[in-house]
Amino acid sequence: MNRFRRGLFCAMAAWALLGCNKAESPASGIQPPPGVSAGAPVETPAFKVLATSDLKDAQPLEGMVEKATGVKLRFTFGGTMESTEAVLTARTDAHAAWFANAKYLLSDPQGQSRVKLQDKIMLSPITVGVSESAAKKLGWSDPAQAAKVTWKTIAQASAQGRLTYALSNPATSNQGFMALMGVVASASSKADALTAADVDRRAIADFLKGYKLPGDNSTYLAEKFIEQQGNQVNTFINYESWLLTLNNGGKLRERLVLVYPHEGVATADYPFMLLDDTRRADYQKVVAYLKSPEAQTWLARQTLRRPINAEVAATVADVFPKEGMRVELPFSPDRQLADGLIDAYLNEFRLPIASTFVLDTSGSMEGSGRRKQLVQAMHYIAGADNSLTGRLAKLTNRERVWLLPFSDVPGPLTFFQVPAGDPAARGVQVQEDSEAKQKILADVRNYADGLRMTGSTALYDSVLKALEHMLAQKKKSPGYQYSVVAFTDGENNKGRGLAEFKEAYAQLPEDVRGIPVFMVLFGEAKESDLKELIATTGGRVFDARKTPLYAVFKDIRAYQ
Amino acid sequence: MSKVGKVLLTLILLAGFGAALFFAMQGQKTEVAEKARSEAIASATELTGIIALDVEPFFADERVRKVLAEQRLPVKVTRVGSREMAGKVVPGSLPDFFFPSGVVAANQIVDAARKANLPMAQSSPFHTPMVIASWTPIAKILAANGMAKALGERIYGVDMIKLTRTMLDRKRWKDLQGASAYDVSRAVLVSTTDVRRSNSAAMYLALTSYAAHGDVLTDRATARTLAAKLAELFKRQGYQENYVNGNFDDYVSIGIGKTPMAFIYENQLVSYALAKKGVGADMVLLYPQPTIVNKVVFLAGSERARALADLLARNAELQRIAVEYGFRIADTGVFMQTVKPTGLAVEERITQVIDPPSYEVMAEMIDVVTQEMAQ
Repeated sequence: MNRFRRGLFCAMAAWALLGCNKAESPASGIQPPPGVSAGAPVETPAFKVLATSDLKDAQPLEGMVEKATGVKLRFTFGGTMESTEAVLTARTDAHAAWFANAKYLLSDPQGQSRVKLQDKIMLSPITVGVSESAAKKLGWSDPAQAAKVTWKTIAQASAQGRLTYALSNPATSNQGFMALMGVVASASSKADALTAADVDRRAIADFLKGYKLPGDNSTYLAEKFIEQQGNQVNTFINYESWLLTLNNGGKLRERLVLVYPHEGVATADYPFMLLDDTRRADYQKVVAYLKSPEAQTWLARQTLRRPINAEVAATVADVFPKEGMRVELPFSPDRQLADGLIDAYLNEFRLPIASTFVLDTSGSMEGSGRRKQLVQAMHYIAGADNSLTGRLAKLTNRERVWLLPFSDVPGPLTFFQVPAGDPAARGVQVQEDSEAKQKILADVRNYADGLRMTGSTALYDSVLKALEHMLAQKKKSPGYQYSVVAFTDGENNKGRGLAEFKEAYAQLPEDVRGIPVFMVLFGEAKESDLKELIATTGGRVFDARKTPLYAVFKDIRAYQ
Repeated sequence: MSKVGKVLLTLILLAGFGAALFFAMQGQKTEVAEKARSEAIASATELTGIIALDVEPFFADERVRKVLAEQRLPVKVTRVGSREMAGKVVPGSLPDFFFPSGVVAANQIVDAARKANLPMAQSSPFHTPMVIASWTPIAKILAANGMAKALGERIYGVDMIKLTRTMLDRKRWKDLQGASAYDVSRAVLVSTTDVRRSNSAAMYLALTSYAAHGDVLTDRATARTLAAKLAELFKRQGYQENYVNGNFDDYVSIGIGKTPMAFIYENQLVSYALAKKGVGADMVLLYPQPTIVNKVVFLAGSERARALADLLARNAELQRIAVEYGFRIADTGVFMQTVKPTGLAVEERITQVIDPPSYEVMAEMIDVVTQEMAQ
């Protein structure tokens, strides 16, 4: 007894000692700064995780992880391609990354060398959510019929105008990209390992005919889908988790029938990846917790993603549609295919972009390097950055741009049109910029260089002018994706006020609702006013007060 | 009280006191000894080890830690991909031991160590055969096409020569006889992890090279030609997971729709079954015929690491715990008894075992496949 007690005491003492040791030297080995006494409590450094934006609904895990493991987990969110690029080029200080799908990253030798450890946390297949009425018309409300639907069938229904869908951008997001790959695989007769030469160009064109609601973030797309369901779009292609959430949310006009394309399911497996080896211990604690029954059950019930932990999966089976056999789409690691497909999507296949950039050139733009930022941003979209994200930001073939500077009154519209490229006869490949394209890009840069800042801010008059112009253009040439990008650094102080703008907007033909306004918040612009404007016109406010302007322009491109 | 009585009482008291004193002294002695012992245990320096994922849970097991502590051989281990271990052979910062998941990786480490003039002692305390984790409907289709046969209740042997030929002929599942249960246009392929990074995929290359050649490859020229041909078995899979549990995770969590056949270590499914106290109803093991038995190789670079190697191989408790993580040990009976309650059917005696080709031939083949995959 005595000895047992002593043993217990020893163990407790040892434990306490270990505990003290830990508190005195944080895992990272960071020395307390001079002047801080050793006894003072040391702030635990945050464990920073770069996550893809579709994981926003998992953010409460920050608190849960910290409570369960003591690790101060902190997420930052970004698009898939952007985050992949940040990890590839080591341009992130995150200690770990958590992507819906990291196959693009992990099929690259450099990507492999960045990732020290990886563990899959949960699953969600990319699913086609078709409004009940549309599904009925297509015959897909019958489960036996739905089970036979392939990506090829989906492309055909799109070509016939029977399927109009919301999808996040194939050039920036995993969902969009994998949907395109699904179409390519389904249309080709190959059983495995697709290459760039196997791409059936017709099938892609067919599929994209139904692409009516683009965007770059599931939260935004879900909101827009709720607004436009039944009018502009009848289908939402996204992770099963987001579609189930919509079906459970009670905001849809009609429920979505979930179709898992036959032999074409791409399941996101959410690998959690260690990037910084000095935080290995924290990583292992976080992973152990994320795979625990508690976290897995929470993820399944709250975010509707399927658990990786098979035992938990059995206990939450009621949450998910009944299992059929879902045959996965093999992921082709061929970079030429991926790059060629994205390039061809942007420059050949997608509905070309037509937009008016409303640019604030009021006097206040002269100060604090604002003019310089604006010129830099314009140079960026008319530049030659061929990185993963750069080629998305850049003006694409066939694109139409009007630049509308304003101060006291809306200025004149200047038009630029990027010529079409020379499409490959077969398959897809990355194309060099033609001379004609290079010239247009140079013209846009020159235009930006010539911008002069003076006068006051007639924002609403200018946005209205841009919308009227887009509306007129849309009537003339409907085969474009229209939008307005408006940028301001101050409050409206000339011309119409917000109330008058709303009145004038209400007078415009119904078609104007299909033209979103992407509003850039900069300098002293009034956030609440811009949000109100967006609430009227549709679109989104982008905050450039803390993010460089060019980066915000790049983000907007993914919504156009 | 009589005089005699008094004497007696005195004697009894004395005896009692003496005994008490004796036992007290004994107790103190024991305590002193115990204290010295625990101090020695606590003061024993940790051995540093670089280990593969497969043995990580073994070393994390409290019982293992206790045995090692008592033997004054506590360890501090770091998990690294097996095939990246050779890069950790750096004079001056060498760990006490490496514990890669197989012979190919072990040979690479030994080779790097030899070049750096650092001796390494090899031993293999546990082993596991390479198997194909699959599903009853798939096993039945393979059987219907003469590629597999039942070895017992829910155990199949798969003819590697026939299976390899079917794969190289680029057959799809729906091209096979009686394939209605898996009537899909995907190619018949076994999923592996990335051959450029993982040991199990190298074992698959070794096995398919035997099947295609009809014998263990010995000359490098033939190996090159054959590897160029076999590269498609990897390339056509598309993306391959590059960590050891990658294809196995997909097998258990996504299932037959993604992974009809996964080339794995037997211990992966066995440890899964032991941890979950069972397996999914349709999960079956296919034993390739012939197969390769993967030895988990312990490489000792120091005197104490050699003592640890000896302990791992001889200590009955450690051996039993290794079985709980799915490994086989010299005593097959312990293995069979441990697995039985899970309901997972395993083959008791692995027959038709081949050796992988020599280190040089394997390295050559992996190089060729790597080049082919980069194209």
